Amino acid sequence: MRFAFVLGEIASGMRRNLVMVVSVVLVTFISLTFVGAAGLLQLQINQMKGYWYDRVQVAVFLCVENSTSESCASGPVTDEQRSAIEAKLNSPELSPYVDTVEYESQDQALVHFREQLANSPIVEAVTAEQLPESFRIGLVDPEKYEVISEAFSSEPGVDIVSDQREYLEEIFGYINIASLVALGIAVVMSVGAILLVATTIRLSAFSRRRETGIMRLVGASKAIIQLPFVLEGVIAAILGAAIASCTLWAVLRYGGEWLSREYPQMGFISTQELLLVIPALFLLGALLAGASSLLTLRRYLKV
Amino acid sequence: MIRFEQVTKVYDQKSKPALDGVSLDVDRGEFVFLVGASGSGKSTFIRLVLKEDRATRGAVYVAGQNVANIPSWRVPKLRRGIGVVFQDFRLLPNKSVFANVAFAMQVIGKSRAVIRETVPEVLKTVGLEGKNNRMPHELSGGEQQRVAIARAIVNKPGILLADEPTGNLDPTTSMGIMKVLDKINQNGTTVVMATHDDDIVNTMRKRVVELRDGCVVRDDAQGIYIGETTTTAAAAG
Repeated sequence: MRFAFVLGEIASGMRRNLVMVVSVVLVTFISLTFVGAAGLLQLQINQMKGYWYDRVQVAVFLCVENSTSESCASGPVTDEQRSAIEAKLNSPELSPYVDTVEYESQDQALVHFREQLANSPIVEAVTAEQLPESFRIGLVDPEKYEVISEAFSSEPGVDIVSDQREYLEEIFGYINIASLVALGIAVVMSVGAILLVATTIRLSAFSRRRETGIMRLVGASKAIIQLPFVLEGVIAAILGAAIASCTLWAVLRYGGEWLSREYPQMGFISTQELLLVIPALFLLGALLAGASSLLTLRRYLKV
Repeated sequence: MIRFEQVTKVYDQKSKPALDGVSLDVDRGEFVFLVGASGSGKSTFIRLVLKEDRATRGAVYVAGQNVANIPSWRVPKLRRGIGVVFQDFRLLPNKSVFANVAFAMQVIGKSRAVIRETVPEVLKTVGLEGKNNRMPHELSGGEQQRVAIARAIVNKPGILLADEPTGNLDPTTSMGIMKVLDKINQNGTTVVMATHDDDIVNTMRKRVVELRDGCVVRDDAQGIYIGETTTTAAAAG
């Protein structure tokens, strides 16, 4: 009985207040979409870190004919220099940091080059002699790049030491900024949503002051008087969260599919990650609306 | 049933107290008229019984309990034991007669079966048989007040407070309402009625408590209403 009664009260409240309820739904939808987007971008960063940090290597490029760095002044790398570098890589000082060492010859470099730029006309013009040989070093701890860099950058026969992680860090930086922007918008929109819920509940309480006045007089409990109002806000917010979830799902499903086709190696997050984000959105929406309505009722609905 | 001990209520420090050291005892099953001019403190009395306001000084006991000691979450329970009727009826305009009365039971969690059984009984008590499905705007003032009374007593309170229940009604209709209140009183409910309708008070011959400027100036067992002019003249003389 009481349950049916509360449901009936919610329905009548939402009918009377339809325009406001719709605006609460829309505002929570937008704000939660941005919250979700920020969350998904962070998950994307984590996913890429997990995927790429195992694969990134430090590359020690050796001198070729037209290298310009100081250590290459004596021309292309000689056999002695190459052996010295290899010996140093396997030396006891460096071995704690070095996990794997692979040597890539100029011919292998050309093969990789052609694979990576298969569709580009530049491929035809490049010969093996123009590409540097290199040692590809997998590090035990990818953060310890400095050790290799210091040890080899002035070594004779070494052109440059490059850390692939630098490129990744740059990408992560951009994603981080995007996620912060999304979070910023989310915060502003959430404040808007909270205020709008407060206004809506206030109007709702005002338009039903006869009912609540009588409820009070006949001794209805505080909970039964306030519950319909709080639930009205919470239901509107949950509707917003539902729409936000559908939107994020659609973006991931179709946008993600397109991205994975375009960049198959990147390791994009899939709709599976939404399973983490969606419950959080619903919880956040319900909490914001619930807290905001309760606070409003404390001021505008005497019990 | 209701006991005021030296109760003072001050709403605003600058103005005079609405009640000033009022002591009063209303026994179980009594019918009491609270008379006095507007602003004499009748409504404040009712608000204090309902714990809508706190007494500034003194103690208010309802059913043996000091209302100051009732925690806020227990106040609904206090109010379930008190029915209230107002001059302006306060019905829900979009609900039928039956639904208006049923509302008072729904909100305290009574089952549908109990509601279906009790509401027609109560509507019969107040003389509204067969009007279950009327809307408030289809009823006369007297009928609307009967609905309000039915709503006030449907949860079987021990006390019925009526704040000028006949204030908007003509004399004949008012007498009808008084018969209903008398019947409810006969059934054992304590009735406190604030009014300034002299005809009613004089006809009913019940206990009369007169308030003036927040003080009890008269408490007669089977009293009559003494008009404004008479009391002023008596005070002057």
